[in-house]
Amino acid sequence: MISTEHLSKWYGQVSGLNDVTVKVPPGITGLLGPNGAGKSTFMKLVTGQLKPSKGTIEILGEPIWGNPALYHRIGFCPEQDAFYERMTGLGWVTALVALNGLEPAEAEAAARRALEAVDLLDAAEKKIGAYSKGMRQRVKMAQALAHEPDVLILDEPLSGMDPLMRRRTIRLIREWGRSGKSVLVSSHILHEIESMTSNILLINNGRILAEGNVHQIRELIDTHPHSVFIRAEDPKALARALLVEDGVISMRFEPGAVSVETARPDAFYARLTEMAASGEAGVIDEVTSPDDNLQAVFKYLVKQ
Amino acid sequence: MRGAWRVFELSLGEMLWSRRTVFLAIVVGSPVLVAAVIRIVDSMGVTPFRLNGQRLDYTAIFGVMIWLLFLRFIVPVLGVFYGTSLIADEVEDKTITYLFTRPIRRGAVLVGKYLAYLVCTTLVVLPGVMLVYFLIVPFQQIGGSFTMLLTDLGLLALGLAAYGGLFALIGAVMKRPLIVGLVFAFGWEQFALVMPGYMRRFTLMYYVQSLVPHAMPAEGVTSLLQAFFTSTPSALTCLVSLAVAIAVSLTLAGKAVERREYVLDQ
Repeated sequence: MISTEHLSKWYGQVSGLNDVTVKVPPGITGLLGPNGAGKSTFMKLVTGQLKPSKGTIEILGEPIWGNPALYHRIGFCPEQDAFYERMTGLGWVTALVALNGLEPAEAEAAARRALEAVDLLDAAEKKIGAYSKGMRQRVKMAQALAHEPDVLILDEPLSGMDPLMRRRTIRLIREWGRSGKSVLVSSHILHEIESMTSNILLINNGRILAEGNVHQIRELIDTHPHSVFIRAEDPKALARALLVEDGVISMRFEPGAVSVETARPDAFYARLTEMAASGEAGVIDEVTSPDDNLQAVFKYLVKQ
Repeated sequence: MRGAWRVFELSLGEMLWSRRTVFLAIVVGSPVLVAAVIRIVDSMGVTPFRLNGQRLDYTAIFGVMIWLLFLRFIVPVLGVFYGTSLIADEVEDKTITYLFTRPIRRGAVLVGKYLAYLVCTTLVVLPGVMLVYFLIVPFQQIGGSFTMLLTDLGLLALGLAAYGGLFALIGAVMKRPLIVGLVFAFGWEQFALVMPGYMRRFTLMYYVQSLVPHAMPAEGVTSLLQAFFTSTPSALTCLVSLAVAIAVSLTLAGKAVERREYVLDQ
């Protein structure tokens, strides 16, 4: 699906990506690395936004830089929270998918299908400026998949989503994978990536450290406490409910939110999703995880 | 062109309702305000403008406003502020990614945004000019000078197109396009226009002003300034020169955008 040969990218004197040779196979592949590891540079090179300083990159057998026709087959969901805020979700997705050459009626129908796929059809006529963080993430995904591309490239797609939407989105990405689409998804959270695929590219300091089915990383990360930031309607009630959970090491309250440190992230995320579904501890608005967890693991890996 | 048209459709609404349009309305509103004051003063029986003791013709006052306020100031200002930001605004807002990861050429994105600029500015500027005209020129004089108004409207649209194209190019190739644009419009052009010889031919204003249909006052500073422009090229030369300037600017700007990398701030 994606192949690079000695791919490097420099920003002046600063190296963003360094001599990366990798073949990303069809199916779902996770690109895992802490902030500043080179994930975004890799994504921008893969999507043709940046030109390689050295080496080559091919998507579906063709070079991507200066090859706009290839975007018929690629859908990209960028990391940045940037929109035309005054437009409605439907208007925005329709306008973008129209750039793929669809007639207005076809474009609107495609946009509606995409918004339905990300469970946003009810809010399609709302202005994007009025969307929650999770809805903004979903409308970004809708514009990426509206033209039914062969390859989906998703940069931190779960960032800021509530647990239920996170679960639904993970399921959606897996369905795309099963339906024959290729997906490259980046994250700094191993548990997110792992729930979508076992095929992982590990990136740090602009280099691919490892690729393939990386079980050792999974074991390694369990030995490090994992921090989770939860924005909720009633953080105190949520904290009370979570305190009894096995593996919770510490908690810290912040305005409208609680930060939890856990030694058992898998069990913790599962329980959090149950709580969000049942509403037993009030509404959970947003779940994020700082990349400190992964950073510690990467430091350990590099030393190894 | 289809891609450019789609980008135009997407960009026009955003441009019309942007903060920049508020600035545009303020800039265009100032002459309207001046015209309203002139009309009020006139209705009070005071003659606001005289030349050699003679009451100045209102059509001439309108001509001076077109010449000095719109052509010499508003058109270049709008060209600089909109033209240099056609792509820069999308980069700053980090929305450029959505346009550059679609199966259309980057040059088409630039052309689409340029067309949106042109429609947006003419939609605000031309009604402003018409307001100024109807406020200043008495009703009984309208019949004779209405053709002149239409020529002025066309001329302003042409000026916006020419300056927008040139500053789109500056925006595509320069790192500090706004400063460069302002220096060009209010430094180089002003300097070159008053210099004898061929230098004025390397300005856009030389060709735009040469098309102004108004007869300026026969004496005074304004007429002295105008004298510099009376050795004008023919209308055809002006139109062809401006058309070539627009086409060359947009072509080069499109090529620059195709080659350039846009690194968004993290």
